[in-house]
Amino acid sequence: MFNYFYRKLSLLFFITFGVTVFVFSLNYLFPTDVLSNMSGITSINEIDYEKIAQQYNLNDSVITQYFGFIGRLLDGDWGVSFITGTSIFEQVFRVLPATIELAMYALFYSFIVAIPLGILASSENHPWLDKSILALSIVGFSMPIFWLALLLILVFSIGLGWFPTSGRLSLIYDIPSSSGFLFLDIIRSSVDYKSEAFADAFRHLVLPTFVLAAYPTTVLIRTTRQSMKDVMNTSYVKAAKIKGLTSGQLLRRHGLRNGLLPVIQMLGIHFGTVITLAMVTEVIFAWPGVGSWLVDAIHQRDYPAIQGGLLVISGMVFVATILFDLLYMIFDPLARRHGHGKI
Amino acid sequence: MRLLDIRNLNIELLTSDSSIKAVESANFSMKMAEVSGLIGESGSGKSLVAKALVGMLNNRWEVTADRLHFMGQDLNRMSESKRRKVISDNISMIYQEPRRCLDPTSNIFSQLEESLPDYEFSGWFGAKKELRIKKCIRLLHKVGIKEHEKVFNSYPHMLSEGICQKIMIAMAIAKEPKLLIADEPTTSLEGDTSLKVIKLLKSLNQLKEMGVIFITHNLFSITSWADSINVMYCGQLIESGLTKNIINAPKHPYTKALFDSEPDFKSRDINNKQKLYALKGTIPTLQHLPIGCRLGPRCPNAQRACVKIPEQQKIKGQFFRCHYPLQQKPLQNNWKKA
Repeated sequence: MFNYFYRKLSLLFFITFGVTVFVFSLNYLFPTDVLSNMSGITSINEIDYEKIAQQYNLNDSVITQYFGFIGRLLDGDWGVSFITGTSIFEQVFRVLPATIELAMYALFYSFIVAIPLGILASSENHPWLDKSILALSIVGFSMPIFWLALLLILVFSIGLGWFPTSGRLSLIYDIPSSSGFLFLDIIRSSVDYKSEAFADAFRHLVLPTFVLAAYPTTVLIRTTRQSMKDVMNTSYVKAAKIKGLTSGQLLRRHGLRNGLLPVIQMLGIHFGTVITLAMVTEVIFAWPGVGSWLVDAIHQRDYPAIQGGLLVISGMVFVATILFDLLYMIFDPLARRHGHGKI
Repeated sequence: MRLLDIRNLNIELLTSDSSIKAVESANFSMKMAEVSGLIGESGSGKSLVAKALVGMLNNRWEVTADRLHFMGQDLNRMSESKRRKVISDNISMIYQEPRRCLDPTSNIFSQLEESLPDYEFSGWFGAKKELRIKKCIRLLHKVGIKEHEKVFNSYPHMLSEGICQKIMIAMAIAKEPKLLIADEPTTSLEGDTSLKVIKLLKSLNQLKEMGVIFITHNLFSITSWADSINVMYCGQLIESGLTKNIINAPKHPYTKALFDSEPDFKSRDINNKQKLYALKGTIPTLQHLPIGCRLGPRCPNAQRACVKIPEQQKIKGQFFRCHYPLQQKPLQNNWKKA
């Protein structure tokens, strides 16, 4: 168990090394001046140049520069934005919770929707149910989500007026930001319109979550359906059936445990895709997350911000992948055996 | 009352355009607490019959029977759920591939525990749990596993095939079934343990009145203790009767060939470099089944009539399907009860 954990951590270490090397090399690959890229200061005059170059080890070897870069990363000095001149570190971690929140809700939603549907579809007693669920999932799978988002806005926000078109919370509610996670902040705040704010935040969340969840839900439905079909046909499930277990017991004790293993794996694999889709969703719904922030940075050629965003997003994907791997290991005794790190 | 009475059992494999009769009109019956051996080459449909009995086949197979009685109850006329209840209460099965029949993600204790019936234990929750644990330990000891603590916490992939087989046996006898179907239970066990297992099944048969269907292709392991023997060839149940009759006076050429091809090394009547007896040819594949008697192409006494499936005949309690049954004549190699 510990051994496995250790292997995963060392894997994380090497991946982080690779990513930091890449992000560091972007300083040289981006078109503007190297020192500007590193520090984020656009117009450096002749007098200051030497001083700042000294500070960023620009006259030493590349390796020293790299370690200096790592040191600054750990200190939280990620440079300043070309555009606003404010600290990248603060900016990134101000917008990051919104993205995590959105991605978590979407994954949670897809999990609780997809698994019952997948199990229903896997049942051999209702072929029509199987066909209709599969058809639905193919529609969801092949629909571009930006278009789906626009359609939903058109119908539910503009047409019916049920949900707001954009943002996380109406401007009339003033919630002091402490953790960055909106629902947590609302619960912890001491305002007297808590429940109204809560309801409003929820109404803002519905459409982005649904749009973002469309892709993982369809993937999970298909994975669950296939793996449940396979598991329910294995000898051990049939043997357990002959032992006299009811269908419910069979599903709970043997079916789900084995059937959900590939699903957990799928969740881990598709987390990266979900983050990419989250960027699109955030842009459309003006959700103040790291995705729309990064897209803005790219449009504005804000190189230090692009580097920061890259680091944070890749770090998030790695951590999530490893967490899902650990989750997988907890459920599958076979995975604990040969635990050489792999992604 | 008969424990099991099956008439005209057909098991068909449904393919996209046709169906293949994997088992063709088999008649099979057992008395209460009888030990019945089911023998035949691999691929002759022995395991299929067993799986069809417990309802383990998936819906690519179609199982039909004119009569399917278990302890006087007509399984054919029951609803699906009732049949499942009757079967799971009274029949248990030991499988050929023990490891594939154990759930890889849950530990042995929980799998053994769930095969205990609920009604046996009374008392409040904690006491019940303790009783169940004790019963599980007793079961493991019974099948010859001493380190119960270690095995309880293991997962199937950590244990050897032999131990998995013993656990399967423990599960099968947990509810003290009226009928135990043992599908080659001793193939993955070492000689010593396989004897012990047979001894255990024998004692359960005598003490608890448990009927046993013992499926095997090893004649030695069955002739010593089975009351009756059924011989299968290529999906047809060709001969069945009391063990001593089958051994001493087989009516069907295949039965005779089966016993002849089992060399008796003890009696020293095999000369040096003498060819051992074997029936010519191989068992046909399911795609190319011969019509009529399926032994036809390999049978030494086959004649024109053999292209029609022979009706079941009965001579002195011995059932067989052959147009030209062998005459009563003691066997050459003097087969003894092993």
